[in-house]
Amino acid sequence: MIYLSQLLGNPVLDADGEKVGTVSDLGIATGEVFPRITSLAFMGPGRTPIMISWRKFVDTYDENEVHLKVIATDLRFSYLQPDEVLLARDILNKQIVDTHGMRVVRVNDLKLSDTSSTQLRLLGAEVGARGLLRSLHPALERVALRLARTFGHPMPEKIIAWSYMDLVERDLSNVKLSVSHKTLDDMHPADIADIIERLDPRLRGQVFAQLDDEQRAGAMAEFDDDAMAAELMGNLTETDASRMLSEMDPDDAAELVSELDYDKAEKLLRLMGVQEQRAIRQLLGYRENTAGRIMTSEVASIGEDATVADAVALLRGLDEDFESVRYVYLTDEDGKLSGVVTLNALIVAPAETLLSELATEDLVTASPEDDQEDVAENIAKYNLLAMPVVNDEGRLLGIVTVDDALDVLEEEHAEDLRVAGGTAEGDDSGHASALIWLVRRNAWVALWALGVLALVLVVGAQVGLAGTLAVAIPLAVALVLADDSVSYVTNFFLENDPDDEDSPSMIGFTFRSIGIGAVLAALVALIMLALESIIASPAVPSVTASLDGLAAALTAGGAGAAASTFFSFAVTPIYLAILRHRDANNKETSGFTLSLVAMLVAVAVFSLTVLGLFA
Amino acid sequence: MTRKDDEPSSTRRTHLEPRLILAAMGPGMVAALAGADAGGVATYSNAGALFGFNQLWTVPVMCFLLIVAQETAARMGCVTGKGLASLIREQFGVRLSALAMTALLISNTTVTLSEFAGIASALALFGVPVYVSVPVAALAIWLLTMSGSYRRIEKVLLAIACVFVTYIVAGVMVSPNWGDALMHTVVPHVDATPQYLSLLVASVGTAIAPWMLFLAQSNVVEKNAHAEDLPYQRIDTVTGAVAASVISWFIILTTGAVLHPAGIAVSGAEDAAAALAPLVGDYAEALFGAGLTGASFLAACVLPGITSSAVCEAFGWERGADRSWSEAPVYRGIITAVIVVSAAVVMIPGINLFGIMMIAQVINGVLLPVLLVFMVLIASDKHVMGRHVNSRVWNALTWFTIVAVTVLTIIMFVMQALGV
Repeated sequence: MIYLSQLLGNPVLDADGEKVGTVSDLGIATGEVFPRITSLAFMGPGRTPIMISWRKFVDTYDENEVHLKVIATDLRFSYLQPDEVLLARDILNKQIVDTHGMRVVRVNDLKLSDTSSTQLRLLGAEVGARGLLRSLHPALERVALRLARTFGHPMPEKIIAWSYMDLVERDLSNVKLSVSHKTLDDMHPADIADIIERLDPRLRGQVFAQLDDEQRAGAMAEFDDDAMAAELMGNLTETDASRMLSEMDPDDAAELVSELDYDKAEKLLRLMGVQEQRAIRQLLGYRENTAGRIMTSEVASIGEDATVADAVALLRGLDEDFESVRYVYLTDEDGKLSGVVTLNALIVAPAETLLSELATEDLVTASPEDDQEDVAENIAKYNLLAMPVVNDEGRLLGIVTVDDALDVLEEEHAEDLRVAGGTAEGDDSGHASALIWLVRRNAWVALWALGVLALVLVVGAQVGLAGTLAVAIPLAVALVLADDSVSYVTNFFLENDPDDEDSPSMIGFTFRSIGIGAVLAALVALIMLALESIIASPAVPSVTASLDGLAAALTAGGAGAAASTFFSFAVTPIYLAILRHRDANNKETSGFTLSLVAMLVAVAVFSLTVLGLFA
Repeated sequence: MTRKDDEPSSTRRTHLEPRLILAAMGPGMVAALAGADAGGVATYSNAGALFGFNQLWTVPVMCFLLIVAQETAARMGCVTGKGLASLIREQFGVRLSALAMTALLISNTTVTLSEFAGIASALALFGVPVYVSVPVAALAIWLLTMSGSYRRIEKVLLAIACVFVTYIVAGVMVSPNWGDALMHTVVPHVDATPQYLSLLVASVGTAIAPWMLFLAQSNVVEKNAHAEDLPYQRIDTVTGAVAASVISWFIILTTGAVLHPAGIAVSGAEDAAAALAPLVGDYAEALFGAGLTGASFLAACVLPGITSSAVCEAFGWERGADRSWSEAPVYRGIITAVIVVSAAVVMIPGINLFGIMMIAQVINGVLLPVLLVFMVLIASDKHVMGRHVNSRVWNALTWFTIVAVTVLTIIMFVMQALGV
């Protein structure tokens, strides 16, 4: 075993033992699983780069020097072939994609085959800590290994074989690679999208441009970040971009096109085929977040008088990239949707059976104007793989497939979580998120401190420090209740849909909130009064009469808390209106921000009330 | 300048679009205003208090050198689409990038340290003890960096840091001898004392901090700016550098006019705040404290992230605020370590906070040449930069900075060793 780092910089000696230069690079032939080293590049006298054939001229090699078979004057120089890759220039220290582990890594060293055999081959790229340490100094690697063994944690090498490497920076797509070479192109589009998201913006464009049309279309539909997808699209030439759009499912394409600016979108659409263009334009005609926007118009539909054989013939004739078929839809002579046949039924039934005999006529359908969330929920409820979308006359426009419905549900779930004051980053259970959670849940403490400062400014001069603190005690109650008022309104928002007829009206909600506010305010006031009278009563002898002023302060604080509690709940209809307005405009609202606002308002109302009582 | 001629792309675009100029502006301003952080204020007010107007001449020089360095970094980002750490690794291999990253790590940790010292001494003006302000600030900064959400409050902090603009008003109000000030700005004046030289090195370290280069380049890379966007990046670079220099010029001017004649040496934040007293009277300390907290907090939020990101970029580890502990342990570990170490050092009992700020800038100045050498070598490599390779003038200026800082450092150490 020998590593590239051990070969680089070694002297190259000719047959006479004369030094002709130092090793600077090795070239490999790319067509094999373990590529052969084909050429030796070295720095000749006067720093002239020289390349010679490895097979013809190299006699022996080891960690110290390379011996050539001939004398310097007999060397014949060669040139880098298009299918050759230079190890140090193209791979060492570069970022590559490990298509097996599906990560982006940096190559720390390259592992070559044994020195004893005549043929030197590339075994793989070392991407782990051992390669780093070895490159720093071989002794470091040995020390680390010994330490690791002492502590019982062996340090294995992390080697990526050539067949699982994708050199993101060097386009090898026109080089014929071995059959077993797994490049990015061979990965699942969802994995490609994941990898691309991890690259630097510039590399993203380069890697994306290397993919073929089909993979591009697939990956494009999988990006989480719409802005990034639009930017990647901007990097493609217009013909490439429109070809990719044609390749995508119309619903995904429509979503992407809606991200672009108008001129660019128009230009791309015009370059597309008439049919695909019409499909996308039709989808773009529907509002965002409706069934019309996420449906695909690629549906297998056939007249209701057709037989199973006809349907099978129809399916066989479909394009290769046609949306996968789960159901065959039946239409009557007016083009209205009349029934649905499952694929299973088709396969099992004899060829001459009439489809209408197999069909389910009791259909669950959606209108293109329906909210996407409702459609997704119905798909889940009725256990469908796709739901047909029909217009007012009952004509079939398209289907919403279960994969799109899952995306919608995931998106809405994340939104709801955020409104409820949580975050959607569920996989990060690290300490940071636990702390953030704690801070968020207890933000009222910070607001309380702020309130105390405000009270010092407002009434501190009149009632002194002890008085101010006594006033501030009920503020804590007011803040917690303000926080609760936001939970109350977000819960209502999440549970009730404004378009739903059964849900309480805005006016009803307003009355209810004011009612709850009044009851809670009265309760707070009563508890505070009770507390104050108990403390001040002669039955509690430990509190001396000199604390009269404090009792008054406590009463003032109680009044402030009652006022701010009532106010907090009374304004919840405004929060609800804001939430609904932002939701209608597809803006996300963070529940945490909302509760901060509510608590700030509570502090303000509290301070003003107390000021009013003392002034 | 010969640079303009070899750029057909920029000459073809005859006019710049104002909208795009505004879009490109920003990173330069952040770097500039965060440059008026703890270390900057300490260095400049010390320079003014100790030597009056004698160091004013360094400001235009630093401004120019800062433009050279920042422009080079931004250009490298535009042309290659890679961060500086990536380029160093790919051009110089593991060993030298380990050297560069160690230099960056030390330099940025000391700067973070000085930011914490800044926060501590600024809040001390409001009577908050170090043992309260530093842990709270450290926790807040850690949370903000870890969740990547500091960008949301970036604007607020920038607005607070704008308090330092009051130095300009204060500078005008103390009605200094303008002729004298301008003369000192144009005519260099050097005192051959170790104190003067170390202040000079500190000024370089403050004005052209290594982290600014990494920040400038990574901003360009994140935006995926291309070579044809270079004119916009240059506008950003120049406006940022000029804004930073104007502020530092006025800090030196104000402290030079107020503190120097009174013989007050700046040994703490309250002394530096005193320079603002002619303008706002009793509120000088509150105003200065707020500004120093804002600027230091902003820089302290930016620094650990940049440092960790650069190190991970060089060695190929996962990075980014959206990666969890299990995905990017090194990235998160370095951020945590930088913050914890900085906060811990500041809390050592009896430590001189203002002294820390000064020493940090000197260390920054000493390490700057190391990173500049890497930068200039890559920027003048035709294979990497293509036709946007460094011009001779730019190369000469960068090498001048490297040599000058190195020589100054050596003289400074020798003089200190000899006890002159």
